Amino acid sequence: MSITAIIFVLLLLAAYSYFIKRQKVYALYRTQSIKKSKIKQTLPKYFGYVAALWSLVPALLVLIVIQIIDEPLVKSSLADYIQSEKIVIGDAADDFDLYMNEIKNMSIDELESADPEKIKVFNQYQKFQSISNYAMTIIVLAMAILMTAFGMKKVKINTPARVIFEKFIEIILLLAASIAVLTTVGIVLSVLFESIRFFGEIPFTDFMFGLEWSPQTAIRSDQVGSSSAFGAVPLFVGTMLISLVALFIAVPLGLMSAIFLSEYASSRFRSIAKPVLEILAGIPTVVYGFFAALTVAPFIRDLGESLGMSVASESALAAGLVMGIMIIPFVSSLSDDVLSAVPTAMREGSLGLGATQSETIVKVLIPAALPGIVGGVLLAASRAIGETMIVVMAAGLAANLTVNPLQAVTTVTVQIVTLLTGDQEFDSAKTLAAFALGLMLFVTTLILNVIALHVVRKYREEYE
Amino acid sequence: MNTQTMKENINLTNMKEKSIAEIHAEHKQTIGEPFCDNVKFSTRNVDVFYADNQAIYDVSLDIGKNEVIALIGPSGCGKSTFLRCLNRMNDTIDICKVTGDLELDGTNIYSKNQDPVLLRARVGMVFQKPNPFPKSIYDNVAYGPRIHGLTKNKAELDELVEDSLRKAGLFEEVKDRLNSPGTGLSGGQQQRLCIARTIAVQPEVILMDEPASALDPIATAKIEELISDLSKNYTIVIVTHSMQQAARVSQRTAYFHLGKLIEVGETNQIFTHPRHELTERYITGRFG
Repeated sequence: MSITAIIFVLLLLAAYSYFIKRQKVYALYRTQSIKKSKIKQTLPKYFGYVAALWSLVPALLVLIVIQIIDEPLVKSSLADYIQSEKIVIGDAADDFDLYMNEIKNMSIDELESADPEKIKVFNQYQKFQSISNYAMTIIVLAMAILMTAFGMKKVKINTPARVIFEKFIEIILLLAASIAVLTTVGIVLSVLFESIRFFGEIPFTDFMFGLEWSPQTAIRSDQVGSSSAFGAVPLFVGTMLISLVALFIAVPLGLMSAIFLSEYASSRFRSIAKPVLEILAGIPTVVYGFFAALTVAPFIRDLGESLGMSVASESALAAGLVMGIMIIPFVSSLSDDVLSAVPTAMREGSLGLGATQSETIVKVLIPAALPGIVGGVLLAASRAIGETMIVVMAAGLAANLTVNPLQAVTTVTVQIVTLLTGDQEFDSAKTLAAFALGLMLFVTTLILNVIALHVVRKYREEYE
Repeated sequence: MNTQTMKENINLTNMKEKSIAEIHAEHKQTIGEPFCDNVKFSTRNVDVFYADNQAIYDVSLDIGKNEVIALIGPSGCGKSTFLRCLNRMNDTIDICKVTGDLELDGTNIYSKNQDPVLLRARVGMVFQKPNPFPKSIYDNVAYGPRIHGLTKNKAELDELVEDSLRKAGLFEEVKDRLNSPGTGLSGGQQQRLCIARTIAVQPEVILMDEPASALDPIATAKIEELISDLSKNYTIVIVTHSMQQAARVSQRTAYFHLGKLIEVGETNQIFTHPRHELTERYITGRFG
């Protein structure tokens, strides 16, 4: 029986327990005089829920456990079989895994062409598979039926059904929350392990403080690319440079448009302008990339040349400008929301003292809304740091160590992309470097977050 | 008297009395003494509209120098709206339109040349709910003087802050913690802080919109005492729901009903011998 069918049967059983139990409790309530005495009763459906849980949850748990142990069990029995039949497949564990994969992926029409030994193993494999499947079906269904019967007996009229069901809801919610947290932990760990492998080959200090980035690994020692350097400083400087240019554009523009929208604009204008502004965040970054590479970068180059400056045709300035436009909505939309959320009493208090509207905004509203504004800026900053596409198209790949926004630079994310795309072996320093970069990027944004949180806590002015 | 005749009696009185709506509809002219000598604020034929709804109908009222005038009336009668016309606070509401003549010391406050910001510095306002800024007690009081550049240096500002807090009867309670946030004070203290903040700008008129309605009786008593003190130096217009409060603090009382100014007079007279039927019914607690 397939797992889908088993789960379907379990659900049927659960539905059965639910309706039967609920019906029984209804009947009990009707016959008992408690009903008339107007004492509040637990609703019958809660008894139904608890009964359904009894028939569903234990069986599901057993199903999950069997699913986990099923594969290794089949594998080890097959290994035993292979040994007993004295089939030679090589000694190493890797070879056995390879062999197993071959067997698993064999299909019926391949059977004729395959060698007889393999066919024998394949047949045996299928036999084991069907045994394990039968066992699973029987165990799970037996469990479900047993527990349904048990639940029917166990759930009585004095069972605190509502409390139990409430607890169940709590556990479900807890599971949902922990999945998000565990995923984060999992991502961090996976990046961390690969990074440790990288730092096994390239010293940590070389990576952190090296001023040159040219990630090549030679296969033979006489190849051109044998001189490799993994100094991440140029990448981080490039990232910071572009992000700063972007924030330099986005924070003032975003904040000012937020102030206009929340304090000056009529509600009709606001209801139109705000969604339009938010569209900016919805434009795919590739499209921004076109814009940056084809329109803004040449424009800046021409402008620079007419002023007698030498500007690279791919410049940090172009990428930063376009990225700045892209992240305006992150700043403006959030700031607008928090500014609007400051109580009218604050505004009137200030206006009532003879402050002008702009004085009110600067001295009362912005301090009160500061945490939200910083939050918006932070969101924008992490977006800018993580942005890849615009930089690939507009700022180039050259890892120059410079703080001149008119030159081409590259960023951490762009390098990660170039390191991981293309055909290469996975355990070279070149590919592993991508994980180290990822880890550093993660740590950087984390530190930014902590700092911002600290700043907000220190300077916020709390209104009620 | 048995219950039957009692019921009949009540029915009879009900039939004799006109309904409140009828009286209100018939009312045309404010009775009593809406005008006075030594005028600070004079308002003539004021109408206020919120979009298409008229909130105030043809109100004419004088407010004398250094008097405390109480505006009373049932909820939604327009007394707060009228109060907010006096410092153009209604300007902040897009859909609100004010017509009529409102003059402060003989100049029209709704003329094109009038800067509403300057007006609000002359006509301060204390709100229903204490609304201290989320700043320190000192900064709350210093807010107005700093904006208007009232003091030349820190020492003068310190003095002004202390003086304002003293006048608001708060200095002794907070002198050791001027730098702690104003929002940490109790409700009554917060309201006195707001009054201190208003006084610090040295206004000529103080508008109070139910200043004690969110406070407990003891804090209310302190605020009322404070109003009596302040009336020596300021003209005070107070909106209140509490008739006892109006009786305790004010010299004149104006009764509003559904946007119309029904009756104005000496506070004593309004509460002992109301001339208009609506005033009488409100004061005796038959509605409101």
